[in-house]
Amino acid sequence: MGIIGTASERQHAHPPARADEIGEIELPDQDGVQHRLGDYWKESPAILVWLRHYG
Amino acid sequence: MQLHRERVALEESGAHLVLIGQATPRHAAHFRRRQGIDLPVLADEKRESYRAAGAKIATLGELLGPKVAAKGLVSSLRSRQPQGRTIGHPAQLGGAMIVRPDGSIAWSHMSEDASDNASPDEILAVLRQTSAA
Repeated sequence: MGIIGTASERQHAHPPARADEIGEIELPDQDGVQHRLGDYWKESPAILVWLRHYG
Repeated sequence: MQLHRERVALEESGAHLVLIGQATPRHAAHFRRRQGIDLPVLADEKRESYRAAGAKIATLGELLGPKVAAKGLVSSLRSRQPQGRTIGHPAQLGGAMIVRPDGSIAWSHMSEDASDNASPDEILAVLRQTSAA
């Protein structure tokens, strides 16, 4: 691990082909209410955006 | 927050837009208020979903290299909003993904460096194709 937690060697992003594992994850929202990610795409497509940071 | 501005178009396509950030729900709430958005923002303090999505940890060059710095400056000038304090793992990169109801991933763009972000236009184009299929 490098400075401020950076990777010492270049990595490549490797998204999966399916979101099954992602769908099982539960996360709280801004009010602390838990949400299962898979529920977002049960009925219609979902766009998931992972922010680099909140800044 | 380009995606938030395109939110109407995105939701008219029938898709749900979900933002996921690092750190705590309190930080997520502060982010929403500061950005003036009413989208739900989920807090993944352990970055479990980042790992599952294949998001990577950047090298120093991928965070601060000349290409990244130049794009960051242009972005800040356009939005008139300088980058605030980084909360969470400073080298964690993000990305975006469209998931179909059957759980397959129609499209993804996981960032290769700090300046590498998917454009809302690209996301909209894929969504329209996905909805038409």
